[in-house]
Amino acid sequence: MENNNKNNSVFYSYCLNPQIKFDTHEEGEKIYLLLRSHPFTQIGWILSSIFFFILLFVLNLFLQSFLNLGQVLIINIFFIVFILSYIWFNVLNWYFNVGIVTSKRVIDIDFYAVLYKEITVAQLGKIEDITVKSGGYFESLFDYGSIFIQTAGTEANVEFIDVPHPSDATQIINKLLSKKYG
Amino acid sequence: MDSKNILAIINDLGINNISFKIVSVLFAIFYYFYALVIAKQVKIMDKALQDKYNRLILLITSLQVTVSLILLLILILTIFLV
Repeated sequence: MENNNKNNSVFYSYCLNPQIKFDTHEEGEKIYLLLRSHPFTQIGWILSSIFFFILLFVLNLFLQSFLNLGQVLIINIFFIVFILSYIWFNVLNWYFNVGIVTSKRVIDIDFYAVLYKEITVAQLGKIEDITVKSGGYFESLFDYGSIFIQTAGTEANVEFIDVPHPSDATQIINKLLSKKYG
Repeated sequence: MDSKNILAIINDLGINNISFKIVSVLFAIFYYFYALVIAKQVKIMDKALQDKYNRLILLITSLQVTVSLILLLILILTIFLV
């Protein structure tokens, strides 16, 4: 795993041996992989933000004819604050929704709309099946897809959605499984 | 720049419609609470995942709260003093 040439690639969304810590990090637990959604999957809100800035510019052409300078200024401030907050909200959503592969388990940390936290953990010994789904024009072009990790018993299944290099990530998990459980 | 100058500048801008002022203040209050909620959540997320850019994220979040508070105070100032 140390020889993998994709260390910290794809805008920090595929990090091999990352220097991170998380909530339930146990002593001696080595972190092998940190995954975030591929940056290309964030294109929707990036384009929306650009559209909002263009909209603000167009709006300014009309507003000046029936509002005074102060009112136009306040509307502009609110609009810019709204767009920046929207961008920031989405950045946070991307940054803190991660998948982690450690020497003991696979962890999926999700913050839905920033407000709701969900942490799913699957012990390596409980993993029964790993499925990689990657289909479509952009998935093939940018090499991203989803990994579904099925566990035995009542443990929740873990999903890493739209992560970069899904085959490499699966290979790492499989190597860990075979190293630990033969 | 003293407070009289700031008031004069705000007055010169002509933000004199009372309904516009009230709506602006309501938006600013809403935005301030939104920024506080986001700041609280970021602290929780920072605890859940400690990565190398967390300091920068906490800094930007604090900046957002500060900006929202300044915006609210300026708008309240326009309602009561201008």
